[in-house]
Amino acid sequence: MRGPHSFVRSYFPVNWSLFFGELVSGLTLGSIYALIALGYTMVYGILKLLNFAHGDVYMVGAFIGFFVLQWLGGPLTTAVTGWLAIAIMFVVAMVGCGALGVGIEIFAYRPLRNAPRIAPLISALGVSIFLQNSALLLWGPQFRSYDTFDLIGVKSYHIGPNFFISNIQIFTIAASIALMAALTWLVARTRTGKAMRATSFDREAAEMMGIRVDRVISFTFFVGSALAAAGGVMFGIVFGQIFSLMGFTAGLKGFTAAVVGGIGSIPGAMLGGFLIGLTEAFATGYLPGGSTYANLYVFALLIAMFLVRPSGLLGSPVIQKV
Amino acid sequence: MRSRRATVVAALLALGAAFAVVAAAYATPNRAAAPTAQTGSDAALVKCGKTRSIGLMAPFTGPAASIGINQVHWAQYYQRTYNATHSTKIKFVNEDTMLGSANGTAESVKGAQALGSNPSVLGVAGPAGSNEVKATTGALKGAGLGFVSGSATNTQITTDGTRTGYFFRTVPPDSSQSLSVSGYITSKLKVTKVYIVDDQEAYSIGLADEVQAQLKAKGVTVGRDGVSQQQSDFSAIINKIPRDTELVYLPWQLPPKGQAFGQQMKSLGRGSVKLMGSDGLFDPLFSGLGSNVYDSFFPLNPSDKRVKAFKKLHGGASELFGAPTYVATQVVSGAIDRACANGTASRAEVRAQLKKTKISKKASLLGLPVSFDSNGDMVKKPFGVYHSVNGVFVRVG
Repeated sequence: MRGPHSFVRSYFPVNWSLFFGELVSGLTLGSIYALIALGYTMVYGILKLLNFAHGDVYMVGAFIGFFVLQWLGGPLTTAVTGWLAIAIMFVVAMVGCGALGVGIEIFAYRPLRNAPRIAPLISALGVSIFLQNSALLLWGPQFRSYDTFDLIGVKSYHIGPNFFISNIQIFTIAASIALMAALTWLVARTRTGKAMRATSFDREAAEMMGIRVDRVISFTFFVGSALAAAGGVMFGIVFGQIFSLMGFTAGLKGFTAAVVGGIGSIPGAMLGGFLIGLTEAFATGYLPGGSTYANLYVFALLIAMFLVRPSGLLGSPVIQKV
Repeated sequence: MRSRRATVVAALLALGAAFAVVAAAYATPNRAAAPTAQTGSDAALVKCGKTRSIGLMAPFTGPAASIGINQVHWAQYYQRTYNATHSTKIKFVNEDTMLGSANGTAESVKGAQALGSNPSVLGVAGPAGSNEVKATTGALKGAGLGFVSGSATNTQITTDGTRTGYFFRTVPPDSSQSLSVSGYITSKLKVTKVYIVDDQEAYSIGLADEVQAQLKAKGVTVGRDGVSQQQSDFSAIINKIPRDTELVYLPWQLPPKGQAFGQQMKSLGRGSVKLMGSDGLFDPLFSGLGSNVYDSFFPLNPSDKRVKAFKKLHGGASELFGAPTYVATQVVSGAIDRACANGTASRAEVRAQLKKTKISKKASLLGLPVSFDSNGDMVKKPFGVYHSVNGVFVRVG
């Protein structure tokens, strides 16, 4: 008598090891994209601005995490335990990038708030290039290694036949979900979140109702940039290396995730991030030339999304009075 | 209405960006390699003077900067020793090729054009990568400049006839490297299942093709895939590598990427699989991964007193990847000196002198004499195989 497993195996010869491996890879990468996408979507939701400097804030976050680790004594001789060191890296990077985000908003976007929409867009590109080149000048072109192996000792857990998941992958996925849950709570359940939603809905009306719009916008930049910094530190921990030009492609993927999910929608950004990560991983694993053309598949998904559902998966079309 | 327009604008921006990323990552440099018009500078005589200019093309910045800066340090080390011992002096006109970055090929072409239009430049050391050599050929050849690379190993760049008489190299071609690698894998490591991951660059694909063909001919089961040089997440491709694979061959140019690949292999439970790199990964970052790491590298005489002096000068750092660039600079400098014997020289005269290069075994740093065949390859061209022992590469074959 054949059991259901052998039946499934003989009629659907799926390589489960590969499938689960790609699933975990996709979720890990998607977690990072989702954190970046959240910043894009929050800023767009509140200012209708595509903050193209966001990817570079993510890069700065990764570098702050790296320098905090060095300040703590480096991965081999850390002054505190490995996990505590990682917690400190996250906190400092998130606070540092939050402040950077607020600074960018005040100096580069606020003066252009009532200008035609193209002006802050160009300003955002300028800030992006400024951050990239500043990083190149300050920290040089070379790769910096987090050396996570030395810091916390990477462990692989053997689950089922030939399927492995590392403690770092588990940590990344869990930490991202926790951060996303915290953001959802912040936006949905707090006064500040209510003010953010009100400002996003109608800035002028919110101002008339006594909401300090400038402060709300700055806070939005702070939170979005802090999440990007968390993504940057996670990238360093999972993939080992960071460099000064890493923000461009990651920012582009985060933007794509935000658009696929429905720009302006927080759950949409999370969904979009995971979808982009999974597309990349499964394309690499299953499609011909997948690893070479993974970006092609990702951006094809974006184009398909625009054709089929222009407002994104969870975005809703906005009806405007004309 | 406004919302729809914004969506369309966003879609166009995203589409443009997508094309930019995909095109930059995968475009072949044929357009850039198209020869430019002859400038007439080929035969123009330049007064040599006391200081002679050499173009130095290397990845000063970008993802390959770690190895590029090492090449620059070796070139500068040659300059320092030359200037200290000769009445004439050499100076470099630097051009950053940004190897490995999205716009790297375009940057190298811009650099080549700048050198071509600088009348004081009589010869060029570099560029580093085979892709860049292909891309810059049009501009350098059009300006009549001879160029000598200390790391471009793609076999075809000397044998396809496109740059004969203009291009020379002080490293052996991949055909020599692939023979050493495939021979060591089959006869010493006795491995029967190999997976090759190239990095989508001309150098990497060419070398991977040769090793793959040679291994298959010897009955080895070979799987093949590729990754972009921009990529940092290798977990998806590692999942794809069959579980019974005994060795992964990485003919890559960026040591930090090799290190990241090895670390991610470990974190996914593949730490016991042997890793074999190519000359581009001959770096402490890659050898530090553990005793499962092997590599192939150019010939070099590690006991040469200049290697020791270089190490001392750089605080104990003995990265040897750039050593052939020292020899490349030596070749260009020697050719310019000979062409300048009568006080003036043209680029054509310098090229003629490049062909006649003869550096003795003692003076070459490579541990073998340097002279070129009609294609621009060194006449003697052995490649060594190294094994990581306590984090340091030791020659084993």
